Amino acid sequence: MIEKIFTLWPEITLFVFTCVVMILGLSRSLSVRRLCAPLSAAALAIAGVLALTTTPDAKGALPHLPLFVKVLTCAVGLVLLLQLAGTADRGYETRVARGEAFDPLRSTRAEFYAFFLFSLTGLMLCGNASDLIWLFLALELTSLPTYVMVAISADRNSAKEAAVKYFFLGALGAATFLYGFALIYGGTGTTDLQGIHAALSQQMATGGINSIAMAGLVLSVIGIAFKIAAVPMHFYTPDVYQGSSSGVASMLAFVPKTAGFVALILVLATVGWVSTSPATHGQLPEPLHSLLWIMAALTMTVGNVLAVMQNSIKRMLGYSSVAHSGYMLVALLAGPGPEGASLTRNGLSAVLFYLIVYAVANLGCFAVLGCLEKTSSDGKSEEIDHIDDIRGLISTRPLLAWVMAVCSLSLLGLPPLLGFMGKLPIFSTGLAAGEIVLVVILGLNSAIAAYYYIRIAKNAILEQSPVRPAGEEIRDAAVPARQFAGIIAGLGTVVLAIIPISSLAIDGGTFRHSRSGVTNSPAQTLPAPVGSAEPATADAPTGPVADATVPPTIAR
Amino acid sequence: MLHLLELLGSSALATTLASTDAALASAPAAGGGVIAAPMWASLIVALPLLGAVLSTLMAVMGVRTKLPALMTVGLLAASFVTTLALFLQLQGGPAAGLKLYDWISLSWGSGAGQTFTASFGFDFDHLTLLWMLFVTGLSAIIALYASEYMSHDVGPGYCRFFFAFNLFVFSMACLVMGDNLLLLFLGWEGVGLCSYLLIGYFYRKPAAVAAAKKAFIVNRIGDLGLLLGILSTFAVFGTIEYTKIFAIIESGVLPNGQKLAEHWANWVIPALLTCGAFGKSAQLFFYVWLPDAMEGPTPVSALIHAATMVTAGVFLIARMYPLFVSDPHLIVLSVVAWAGAITAIWAATIEMAIFDIKRVMGYSTISQLGFMFAGLGILSPVGASFHTFTHAFFKATLFLGVGAVMHGFGGQLDLRRLSGVAWMRGFGLVGIAMLIGSINLSGVPFTAGYFSKDIILADAFALPHGQIWGSTAVAWILLITAGMTAYYTFRTYFRVYAGPKEFVPGDDAELLELGRHPKGVSIEEWHKQHGHGHGHGHSHGHGHGHDHGHGHDHGHGADKTATQRVDFDPTTEEFDPHPPGAAMKIAIAVAMVLAIAAASLYFIGPKGGWVAGMIAQSSAALPESVATHAGGDHAHGTFFGFDPHKVMYYVSAIVGFIGILIAAVLHGPRGWQGLFVGSRTQAEKSRADAFVTLFGPITTAARNKWYVDEIYDWTIRTPLLVLGHILHFADKLGVDGLVNLAGQIPRGLGRAFQTGQRGVLNGYALSMAAGIAVLAMIALLAST
Amino acid sequence: MNLLSIAPTLAQGPMPTEMGGATLFHYLLVSAIMFGLGLIGFVTRRNLIIMFLCTELMFQAAGIALIAFSRFHLNHTGETFVIFVLTVAAAEAALALALVVLLFRRKETLDASSWQDLKG
Repeated sequence: MIEKIFTLWPEITLFVFTCVVMILGLSRSLSVRRLCAPLSAAALAIAGVLALTTTPDAKGALPHLPLFVKVLTCAVGLVLLLQLAGTADRGYETRVARGEAFDPLRSTRAEFYAFFLFSLTGLMLCGNASDLIWLFLALELTSLPTYVMVAISADRNSAKEAAVKYFFLGALGAATFLYGFALIYGGTGTTDLQGIHAALSQQMATGGINSIAMAGLVLSVIGIAFKIAAVPMHFYTPDVYQGSSSGVASMLAFVPKTAGFVALILVLATVGWVSTSPATHGQLPEPLHSLLWIMAALTMTVGNVLAVMQNSIKRMLGYSSVAHSGYMLVALLAGPGPEGASLTRNGLSAVLFYLIVYAVANLGCFAVLGCLEKTSSDGKSEEIDHIDDIRGLISTRPLLAWVMAVCSLSLLGLPPLLGFMGKLPIFSTGLAAGEIVLVVILGLNSAIAAYYYIRIAKNAILEQSPVRPAGEEIRDAAVPARQFAGIIAGLGTVVLAIIPISSLAIDGGTFRHSRSGVTNSPAQTLPAPVGSAEPATADAPTGPVADATVPPTIAR
Repeated sequence: MLHLLELLGSSALATTLASTDAALASAPAAGGGVIAAPMWASLIVALPLLGAVLSTLMAVMGVRTKLPALMTVGLLAASFVTTLALFLQLQGGPAAGLKLYDWISLSWGSGAGQTFTASFGFDFDHLTLLWMLFVTGLSAIIALYASEYMSHDVGPGYCRFFFAFNLFVFSMACLVMGDNLLLLFLGWEGVGLCSYLLIGYFYRKPAAVAAAKKAFIVNRIGDLGLLLGILSTFAVFGTIEYTKIFAIIESGVLPNGQKLAEHWANWVIPALLTCGAFGKSAQLFFYVWLPDAMEGPTPVSALIHAATMVTAGVFLIARMYPLFVSDPHLIVLSVVAWAGAITAIWAATIEMAIFDIKRVMGYSTISQLGFMFAGLGILSPVGASFHTFTHAFFKATLFLGVGAVMHGFGGQLDLRRLSGVAWMRGFGLVGIAMLIGSINLSGVPFTAGYFSKDIILADAFALPHGQIWGSTAVAWILLITAGMTAYYTFRTYFRVYAGPKEFVPGDDAELLELGRHPKGVSIEEWHKQHGHGHGHGHSHGHGHGHDHGHGHDHGHGADKTATQRVDFDPTTEEFDPHPPGAAMKIAIAVAMVLAIAAASLYFIGPKGGWVAGMIAQSSAALPESVATHAGGDHAHGTFFGFDPHKVMYYVSAIVGFIGILIAAVLHGPRGWQGLFVGSRTQAEKSRADAFVTLFGPITTAARNKWYVDEIYDWTIRTPLLVLGHILHFADKLGVDGLVNLAGQIPRGLGRAFQTGQRGVLNGYALSMAAGIAVLAMIALLAST
Repeated sequence: MNLLSIAPTLAQGPMPTEMGGATLFHYLLVSAIMFGLGLIGFVTRRNLIIMFLCTELMFQAAGIALIAFSRFHLNHTGETFVIFVLTVAAAEAALALALVVLLFRRKETLDASSWQDLKG
């Protein structure tokens, strides 16, 4: 038990810093309050370094998943932090600067940054989960702070509406997967993921999965679908993205979604992608397969066709978030593929890689929105949102216009951008798994998606700037950090497409079992770490047992 | 720590350390074993990339000094030094490989040909090293030149220029050094993009934008061929890595068991690749983009559109030479030879008639590229490579000289309005450089251009009959072209650099804007006097018309803004030619010295010189089967019974001198006490004018580039437009309806789904609950 | 302790007689009904507080199922789980009330349907 603690140094660090930030943010001194953001950044940086240096929990189901999730969280978290700068308390701080007395109860800065870190901690813990209880708590820790962040992200009514919708529907989703977890426990007698795996394998070997356990799996998947914004749990997505400020919206597109996919991988891995031999592509048991198939097809389609109808960019990106979850579900459905499958045949790797791809491009789009302001109808300054607001951006702010164009085209998956590199494995894993119809639907959806992504890009870089009446000009938001976030993301979509991304995603090839044999013991099905073909040098960490036997996961 | 590397995989170091040996040991050797290149060799690529990144940062930070240029010169010089060091290390040895990381790895099955891998890795064989030496060396020199040449634009434009400049060198390095065709393609597109960006650098000038577009579009046609070629290479060979392809070619048996000699791939793939090469190197009807590309700043023309990028086509064919010669009939090489010869003579005729000196250089580049292609075609990769190498230096010298003239005379490029430039104060070096470049280009004995052109001519004559279809005719065309080259080169030289000192400054955009006109003559008046405006070539906006006090001071960026707009009084003020400054002079001098020194390469190393030795050790070497065929004494081609290799020294020298003599008679200035046979006393008058009336329409036609652009318009653009209108009409009637219908489906679906998004919390909850129920039901049904 | 010693025989069998006639099925039925009622209440009621209480009902339905399973499997995992579920539910309740107060201050109503500006 105590060894487990040692794998949690990054989370512990974040937690400690969270507490510090929460207290410092209430200080009466502005300079102390201003420490919140740098401290959060320091926390993420330290946690990232710790994640890289601490020995991973090689005993877990997917030994490299925690490390992947932690590093990704810290890296994306740092960029998100840039983008979230200036979201909380901007109006209040100006009033304080004008002479109003500072009232800690009315300030939201402390909880904003603290909750941001809490949410990221939850995400990291998700990757580490080895138990359903842990997974449930981690998912809730990821979500609960985001409800508050949505509510305090902006002063307008729509932010409150977004928060209430997000919170209530979120509770419904949480109740659903909690009930699912309860049934899984009922069907297997344990909440330990490896224990569940063993029990389910036993059941499969002797006449099929217990119907209670299967019902639990189905309910869990549907419940977690809320976190990834998949049909039928997607309804909140556009409203919440539109209502919250762009920084928080881009966080929502990354943090809960990543947590959701990690949770889905962990839950589905307990039952596994069953194949007749290690060399063939496995498939989920029939009920889960049809469930995910329908969810994937509907999610892609609903997301894309509704995005076509939108004029609000945030709403469009909200629906696009739904659609992207659908794409990733295709790869999730395909599963890890045969042993030693590379990124292009290993669906789980494809999902994890796509999470990076999506996070980067989406972040860029939202960052551009966050950089620009206009005066709303009630005379207040607010972020731009309407598609016309970015028309002709190229003539006034070429850099932002290019970021917007490159990121939206990356979301579309246009070669040679990062989005293409991410979409390719999704297609190829779908094909490798024999899901031809689903891949055709995916292709059609990509065509529909082209309509609105190109519309964004075209508005930003090809159109002429319309003559805006006085008072309705687009202004720069006085938060330079957001521009940096946008530039980093924009560069990321270009640069990451050239650097070796194929080896970036981790191997998800675990829990394959053959129908004929009795369960493989988890130790034998542990995936090889990426690059394990390389001879381990003296300071190599104690890798998984199967290092020597499992072929390398990336083709050389 | 290794764990980090494993997970992120991005550390080139770890991957390289571990995989280089394995990857390369398993790869079949091309030329007797492949060894691992040192890690620092990747600096050749990394430094220009760093330069591009730093230029961007400087643009963001608003640097308004010459810092980007200094940084670029330093980095590119370091890149050149690295190349040189690598060359010295690998010289004479086998090819070396350096694999940085797996770039793309796609597999859709476990069978053969179902895995597509492309690494970001480099092959350093002698062909690559030869190319990289002049690419990095010249780019460093020209960056130095550009630091001054572009100084009018210090600020964001300056950063933009050097960003594209660095990116170009990076892309060119990927193109040349890449160990697979995909990396070559990446570099190919990269240099194309940079070329586009730099041609259109003066984006406020419509001509520049149009030229950039033209270059981009024409190149896309060629690129399609290249892409298809790469795809078919993968389809046939199952790999796109050079070493593996060459191993298969050497074995003669394709992965599917068929013999390569009997497979269509041995001529289809070369044909497709040749299509790409023609596009990039402006051969045959693809040439139209290159003259227009002269709208770009002159350093760009010198580096990209003369010395390096346009030779990428030559490189591509040389790189894939084993495949080209694997065809027993050598069909594609015959086509290449003829295309080269025709392009060479075609461009030469145009050059003899036009007046824009920068375009003369542009057409001359096309013509010389024709020589290189012909060299490749007549089985003389040595000649082609050597000519590429020497041409890079002397053509760069010529362009830098032309640039200095443009820089000095307000963008004037018309050879009828410039004369005796070499005698003007500060232009002496330019005159010498132009003379050096001209004698190289004309093939005056003992210059580098003379030797390299000789190899091609001699090899063409020496080729036995029948091996390449019509090789003797090709040889004669090339010989005639050599004479024409000498003529047009010295026509320009005699008219612009020699003769009485006389000039009319160019109608520089800024001069007009400032209300300042050249001495005594307004632009409008000048145009009236001379019938037509030349309407091109003022691609460089430099404000020399003002502030005469500053003389050779180069801080124009700064003082331009400070200068008051004083009304220009044409009767009192004079236009002052603006001689090149230190940076430009150094660059010109270095390029000039290198152009001279390149001749010595012919004498070092084995027979045929240093380049022959380099090529012999690379993949471009002729295989035994073809070489014995070509070099065998029994069927050796002759030049009137003499051995072409011996007699061609004299023949080409004589032809060159005849060309120069004619130029001297027609255009040479009167002077030097009758030493010169010429009689020209005015900038715009020469004895050649008599021929203009004599040949009438022919010269006009040549001057109008044989109306090729117009023919294109008539044969391609107009029919396409008409077809477009017809199709548009048909489209409106039928297809549009269908497309609209298809477009309406998502919208219709969207409207249907939108009814579920009415914004009411309970409604959402209801939909979610129903969704859960339905999905649970489906799962239940599926499980039974 | 006594129970644990006979665990192997009880593990998959009916509930021990001390629990009366109720079997696992009965507990699960109650739990399912609670979950269903919670869901129906959530969908039909408009008052934000009542809606939140309905989600609590659903959480506790899961709790009942967990305890029943825990008893059935004769381990304490399910009971442990319930403790955590209660904690999370408490946290959610705090959040929900704060949110409801915030919303009430804006519009002086608890009606969920008064918040429907975001749609489409």
